[in-house]
Formats: sequence, C-alpha cells, structure tokens
Amino acid sequence: MSSSRDLSSRLRQNVWDGTIPLEIRLHSGDCRTYDDSDPYLIQFPRLSYLGLLPPRLHTFFSNSLIYPDVSPAEAWLSYEHVPLKWHYPLGLLYDLYSGTEPAYPAADGDDAEKKADGRNVGDDVNIPWRLTVHFSEYPVEHLVKLDVDGKHLHDLFINSVKEADFVRNGHGRPVMNLSKEDSTQLWESVKQHSFPLYNPINQKLLNPPGVSLRHLPVKLYLPHATSDSNDKGQAPGSLRVVQQPINPALSSRQPQTIGTALNQIIPSLFPSRRSPLLAQAVLHGAVLPLGTSVEELVRTTAYLDGWLHIAVVMMA
Amino acid sequence: MLDVIASPLISKSDFDAACDELSRLFAERHNLQSEWLSVDVHDRNDTRFLRIMKPLCTRVDVALGDSQEQSDERELMEYDEEALEPSPSHQGVVVEYDIVFSPSFQVPVLYFNIKDLLFRFPPTMDTLYRHLIPLQFRSQAEKAGVIGGITLTDHPLTNAPVFFVHPCQTVSILGASRGKEELTPIEFLMLWISAMGGCVGLHLPIALAEK
Repeated sequence: MSSSRDLSSRLRQNVWDGTIPLEIRLHSGDCRTYDDSDPYLIQFPRLSYLGLLPPRLHTFFSNSLIYPDVSPAEAWLSYEHVPLKWHYPLGLLYDLYSGTEPAYPAADGDDAEKKADGRNVGDDVNIPWRLTVHFSEYPVEHLVKLDVDGKHLHDLFINSVKEADFVRNGHGRPVMNLSKEDSTQLWESVKQHSFPLYNPINQKLLNPPGVSLRHLPVKLYLPHATSDSNDKGQAPGSLRVVQQPINPALSSRQPQTIGTALNQIIPSLFPSRRSPLLAQAVLHGAVLPLGTSVEELVRTTAYLDGWLHIAVVMMA
Repeated sequence: MLDVIASPLISKSDFDAACDELSRLFAERHNLQSEWLSVDVHDRNDTRFLRIMKPLCTRVDVALGDSQEQSDERELMEYDEEALEPSPSHQGVVVEYDIVFSPSFQVPVLYFNIKDLLFRFPPTMDTLYRHLIPLQFRSQAEKAGVIGGITLTDHPLTNAPVFFVHPCQTVSILGASRGKEELTPIEFLMLWISAMGGCVGLHLPIALAEK
C-alpha cells in the first residue's frame, strides 16, 4: 500500500516539475528593428499559464517595441498563427499544437512496435518551443483579453477550479468554504508555481470530509477535422472541447479507465476500450495507456485547476 | 409536456424539450412582441442549445457619449436616463444569448455576446458594463458572490470568448424564486430566464409568458 502511495507522490512530483523551454520572439510588426530583437528564453512549467508572462515580456521587449507605452494587457502569444489561450496550461497547448510526438509507455509487444518505424524518439521533439509575442491586433474574437493586474486570469482559473469541484462533489461547497487565506494561497501557489503552497489546499479540495466522489473532471480537446472547416468563423488551431459527466466506477468492481471513458464519450475515435485504433489520449506529453484508472489520474496528475485536460491526437 | 420537475434542477432531456417548446411558442407569437428577434434551437457537436437574439439597446447616456466622443458629457448625462434604449447608431447590432445545458453544473448556463459586423463591441468588461448591464444592476453584478458574478469565458461550443453568468448560485437563486409548486420544463425555463437573464438585459416578453 505504501509503495503505491510512494508511486503516486513521485508521479505528482514529476508532473509538477515538468517544464518546457520557450523561445519567445517579438512579432516583426511590433518591433522597431523588424526581426532583430533578442528572444526571451524561459524554462516554463507545463502546469502553469502563459497568461502570467505578459508583464515580464513587456519589460523585456520594451526597448524594442515600436510603441513602448503599449499596455502589457495588449500582449498575446501565438504559435504558427494560432493564438494561444491564456487559460490553457502550457502543457496542454504544447501537446495540442507543437507537433511533438508524445512519449509512449515503455511497454512490451504492441506498443513498442509502433515506435519501431525507423524514427528515433527524439526526432520530432519541438524544443525549444518557438513562440511569437504580439503587442497589437489583439485577436479579441479568439482570446479573452487580460488586464494588467491579472484579475481576468485569476477569474478564469477560479471558475475552472469551482467547476471541477462541482463535478467531483455535485456541489461547490469545498471551494466556496475555503477561507480567504486559503483562496489567496491557492492563487499565489499558481503564480509562484510553489508545491508547498499548492498541495495543502489541493488536498482539502480533493478530500472534503463526508463527501463521496460523484464524477471525474475530465475535458477532452479535439482538433477540428478538415471536414468541419467550412464552419464559419473557424480560427486557425480551433478546437472542440468535449466534456461529459464521468462516473468513477462502472460497477463496484470495475473502475472507470481512460479506455472505457473515451469509448463512452467519443466512440467514433475510440471504438475499442482496450487498444487505441484511431486516436490517442495525451496528458503531460505522454500517451495514456487506456487501462489507467481515471480516478487515480485525477488524484495524482490533474492540472492546477483540478481537471484532466487531455489532448486527443489522431494517429498517423 | 406533462412531466413535472420536482427539484430546481432540470434534466438534460427536459431542458432540450423546453428549448423546443419556447422556440415553437416564439414562432407562434413573435408578432405580439418586439423585444426579441429570434428564438432558435441549435445543434452543435451533438449538443442542443437555445439561441435568443435581440437588438442591442444601449443606455441613452452612453449612446450620446459615443456620438460626441466626450466622456465628461457622458458622466453629466448619467443620472438623467438609466434605461436601455435602442440607439440609431447601433442599428443591426444584435445581442446573442445562448442557453447551454452545463454537464458540470447540471443546470442551464447563460452565455452572451454582441454580434456586430463592424466589430465595435469586443468581449471586454468595458463593453459589458457600457452596453449590456443595466445601470441598476451594475453594483450587484460587480460583487462576485451575490449572483456569482458576470465575467468572460470561452463558449463551451464555439470556444470563442463570451460573457457568462456564473452558474454556481443558480440552484439557490431558483430555489428562492420558484415557490412551492412543481414546474413543467417550459415553466422552469421561463423562470430560469427571469431569474438569470434580467441582470444582463434578457427579459421574457410578456406575450410569451402568458398562458
């Protein structure tokens, strides 16, 4: 029993420590020397939000900006013309858009063969991830506009935390009952990416006394298929976000697995509960084995807002 | 429509039925009212939702301020007129209210934004308080916790930024306003619109509410 707890906490720690190196360049349209500015380099936590970066980016690039007086709230980031949502954690954005092949479980048999197509594991890793920061032409139709004080980002985060709480318990009491200090500490832990600050609050939310787990907070992110693209107003990189109530268990003896949940929610992409045939579920850069218990994942590898944000990636 | 809803919550299938019913009722009686432009049931990604459109009505003071480009003037005018009125310069501008059943909260949630071919009303808090929230609701709306607040989020189906009325308090608000009698799905939806929509300018036309 204790070894499984050790494993959980090691996994939690690994997920917490996951980072992606970013190389952020100023968009030529905002740069007084066209494309001659130095890039901003940062090793950024996968769990954290790019929405925390604008003040730093503004300071870093202020000497290169055509309009140095522009507010940091005008900043937005893109990757290959896709505006990046502020309130999606970096890891989700990277898994969705970077094109990097996810990591496969070091499994035997079938799984190993898929990788044996002549390519090395590191071949298509997109590192550092090269992003562009803009300070004009904010895509208001696609991105929530942030403010200088970070209130919008905080609001988006807290709403997401509340929603996860509601899904888990059928009501939002645990998060509503957090003290003012605890709520402040939760947001501080996000801003500072501090596990010692985050973990005690998270444990309160995950284990409210006298409440049994109702549903599991899982969101699936599907890239729009090309057949959908005649849909008007389709932005580059637009997604379909799918969410349904997921029970923790199918029966008293059978826990809900990634395979059973995906088969229930999007059977067209996951016709089998046991083996991925058309698409794969990617979390924190890794392909999720379909036999994994969803509840265990929620408890150990959820994002900071309590959700499992899973990228659904089509198989080649 | 004999099914009766026992609690303030509504099931997904009852919600779908209520949407159909309200849309049908509007088709029948739209001539008797002028507040709403359309009430349509939409299906997107296998999810049904109700879209209500109405013309953008802007507070008279704001509309004047717009044409004169003078914010001082606007402030002087502010206590003159607090009602929301259609403004000539905003002709053809539409407010889109989407009522979507939330799988998380298991209640309908209200999302809304302004549709304008000239993109003059981006989804920002400034737009919200200048054009969408009647002045008398402003302080109430700004206080998160009273009705959960009104902020920005991504629309669950279009994934584009829109305003939304946070649903956390829906159950208690509806519980307080629905009284003791049991409601049919369409009655529930009408009650829900009255309770959640008023503060953001969505009012049920009387012609639709009458039996």
